[in-house]
Amino acid sequence: MALARDFYWSLEGILGAENVSEDPVVTESYSFPIRRKTMPDKVTYLPRFEAVALPASTAEVQAIVRLCNRHKVQYKASSTGWLYCDPVGPNCIKLDLRRMNRILEINEKGMYAAIEPYVVGAQLQAELMKRGLTCNQCGAGANCSVMPLASHVGLGHMSQSGSYTERNLLAVEWVTGDGEIVRLGSLGSHGDWFCGDGPGPSLRGIIRGNTTPLAGLGVFTAGAVKVYHWPGPAAWRVDGVCPKYTHPEMPPNFMIRYLSFKDIDDAFEAVRRVGEAEIGYTLMGFNAAMMASNIATDNQEDLDYLKRFAGQVQGVGFLLIIVGNSALDFDYKKRTLEQIMAETGAMSLKDVEDPVMGAGFAWRFIRITGSIRETSRATGWGGGTVGGSDVFPLMTRYILHTSHLKQQLIDQGLIMDDFTHPFIQSIEHGHTGHGEILIRYNPAGPDHIARVQGMLSREANKTAIEGRFGVPHHVWSDALHDMYGPNVGNYHLLLRKIKKNFDPGQASESSNYITAKEEK
Amino acid sequence: MALEDLRNEMETCRRCSACKFMPFEKVSGYQPVNVCPSISRYNFHTYSGGGRMVNGVALLEDRIGFSEKFIEVMYNCQVCGACDVSCKYAMDMEVIEPIYETRIKAVKEGHTSPDLDKVVNSLRKQGTMVPGARIKRGDWAAGLGLKDCTAEKVDVIYHAGCLTSFNKDMWKQAKSIVKLLQKADVDFGIAGEKETCCGGRAYQMGYQEDFLNQARKNMAMITKSGAKTLVTGCADGYHAFKVLYDKFDLKGDLEVLHVTEYLDNLIKAGKLTPKKRLDITVTYHDPCHLGRLGEPFIHWQGREVPGHIRIFEPRKEFRRGTYGVYEPPRAVLKSIPGLKLVEMGRIKEYAWCCGAGGGVSESNPDFSMWTALERVAEAEATEAQAITTACPWCVKNFNGAIKERGSNLKVFDVVELLARAV
Repeated sequence: MALARDFYWSLEGILGAENVSEDPVVTESYSFPIRRKTMPDKVTYLPRFEAVALPASTAEVQAIVRLCNRHKVQYKASSTGWLYCDPVGPNCIKLDLRRMNRILEINEKGMYAAIEPYVVGAQLQAELMKRGLTCNQCGAGANCSVMPLASHVGLGHMSQSGSYTERNLLAVEWVTGDGEIVRLGSLGSHGDWFCGDGPGPSLRGIIRGNTTPLAGLGVFTAGAVKVYHWPGPAAWRVDGVCPKYTHPEMPPNFMIRYLSFKDIDDAFEAVRRVGEAEIGYTLMGFNAAMMASNIATDNQEDLDYLKRFAGQVQGVGFLLIIVGNSALDFDYKKRTLEQIMAETGAMSLKDVEDPVMGAGFAWRFIRITGSIRETSRATGWGGGTVGGSDVFPLMTRYILHTSHLKQQLIDQGLIMDDFTHPFIQSIEHGHTGHGEILIRYNPAGPDHIARVQGMLSREANKTAIEGRFGVPHHVWSDALHDMYGPNVGNYHLLLRKIKKNFDPGQASESSNYITAKEEK
Repeated sequence: MALEDLRNEMETCRRCSACKFMPFEKVSGYQPVNVCPSISRYNFHTYSGGGRMVNGVALLEDRIGFSEKFIEVMYNCQVCGACDVSCKYAMDMEVIEPIYETRIKAVKEGHTSPDLDKVVNSLRKQGTMVPGARIKRGDWAAGLGLKDCTAEKVDVIYHAGCLTSFNKDMWKQAKSIVKLLQKADVDFGIAGEKETCCGGRAYQMGYQEDFLNQARKNMAMITKSGAKTLVTGCADGYHAFKVLYDKFDLKGDLEVLHVTEYLDNLIKAGKLTPKKRLDITVTYHDPCHLGRLGEPFIHWQGREVPGHIRIFEPRKEFRRGTYGVYEPPRAVLKSIPGLKLVEMGRIKEYAWCCGAGGGVSESNPDFSMWTALERVAEAEATEAQAITTACPWCVKNFNGAIKERGSNLKVFDVVELLARAV
């Protein structure tokens, strides 16, 4: 379905001809054929966007959004575009926000950074570290946008001490579905990017929802992200040549450990105590397989490390990074950890204790450069299921309830046997928690995706609903919201109202959010 | 290996966008962070390594064809290999190989760029990638009294290359090399008029058969000469002789060294001693074909083991740029008394390209210049007085960019500075 000429010419008029294209060579490259593997059997073709546009400013985004509303053409925006950015049907254009990549402000006193959506995690973190600051990064990696609303839920390796989207999103500049520019927070009143929550409901919360709208509620063109104190070096020393980087020095007052426990209760107790004492900079419930992937520079080496690590762990475990603000603070934290370890029977993985290997692990986890290795390198395809964020014990129980399915899939030969446990992380020193089941597998076989992902999703949803665990962060689309809504106070009706009110023309393509379809 | 054989590589792309950036472990600030000139200039995902993987699969499935736009996108890429390195920080998949093979397929099927056809016609008729040259290949050596390696036995062949031979501005590089080799009493010779193009740039442009013709001609001459070592001053030539000839099983036992490697060895062996002081601050630009693409070719034959993780039998080592030539040029520079070397933000395996490769300087000079201007600006930021490099194509592009930008930077080949110091 070709776009009307006057629409396309108007797009060119807004952006300049070189920043818009409807050539199939361009639109095809945004259709991401590998995602076909996630589609039902026999789907061999994904639709293309009708055109791809490259706006460079909020004004350009607004003009495009208004144009789309006038012409009843849908649009879908994304930044680096790892997930949830594919076309799903005709009459939709893509807004690739690549040209909106500026750091607008770093406010050291106010402890926030204002950014455009294409600033990636590595950029902002590196810039902040020069100033003794850092930011939470989305766990998917340093390759992703660091703007909270652009990066799913914003859970990351620093969430133990640096929280996630809910907390870190301060002011927002938002082009609504129908093209209004809304500035939230103090930005809306006196021009600063500081936190805008006041009396009454928070509009930030309304637009963010449980999982963020995933491009389905207009375009977030800028945001202010909360930043944190960084007691480490302005630049972490990295020697060698890619990917064989070496890290000869662990900075002063830094320590990394991978701890494993004989039984899961001991592990949870250790997590609880680390949180209670507030000694953890990072606490991630990685398993030995994720540790192996993080250090290995290829798949074969990954398997070699996994074999080696598997013999050094005694059960469920977690990665812990401790950072002291002074030698005294570090000493206190270290001694506290030693006590917790002794009382919970923790076993420390020796390779991680090695100063050189440890410095590498620490940097890869802080910068978050290993996530692609952990989730994608095996076959280019990974999967699993994502839990929600709720009190830590509840989320751990949810993941444990669903995790038995992983073993069933392994027994059927459908996924890789990494003989490891589900991944659970603590957030804000144990205030809340989050869990995921990550799997690696080859999706090439007939109906493989349907069998693996279908089984996993069905089980995860069934457990969440029947066990009253709340709505996980993998819930998007009408089908899922309609399934969960009646079980959770009919929230989906409110979500749909939000969609209808802020995007009355349904111009913002929302297959990964919720549509404004009429209720029966 | 044809594009069809690389389908699984292309389908392993996860669309993470790492190919657009330098390896994230090394990012030290907001800028510099981009590593691919093509996506940086044109911005559509199409122009990135990942976009090229998607479109490679689409081509195989006839969802798109070799349209005018496809050819434009295909050739607006220097094939500098930066995407390949950044991807392989985390992934086990080929990126640059499908890019090469897409071009080869295009040329085989008759979908070429007129600008590049012109260059390759020059190769076919005159044996050079510098069309319209009015001088002879061996003119640069007139009066130097060098041995003819096609007639006399020598230990080392110095292959000057097309640009050095046919562009008078580059003769100083060749003459510097000659001076240094003579100073170290190296038994070397040149082929002079009988030298012919290495074919490397033809390969980069997708003209595989023309490359192979050149490779066979060269290896016949070299084999006949009996020389065991070939030294090149050109990064493209180095990559061709060292990597591509090996890839096609044509290199045999020939030892191929870039002149900076050879000179570094001579300095370390005490056969060359830089004594004259050069009070100058320089930065060094890693040529793509000497650095990340200059690492040895790895022969591998085997199969992917079916399963839920891509492993191979026998074990497969991917070329990731780790073992390129990074230190020898720096060591040569550091051996010069008084010279201070300062580094740019993007170096070694994640160096920004000079813009001249992959046929871009011939088919889209504006993009080539745009790329070089970015590098010159980066060099200026180091406050160096000069940008040094180890390839005549880089020297040429930087000279153009400096003129365009009105910069005060000077450009030197590493060998020029060493020759002054010895």
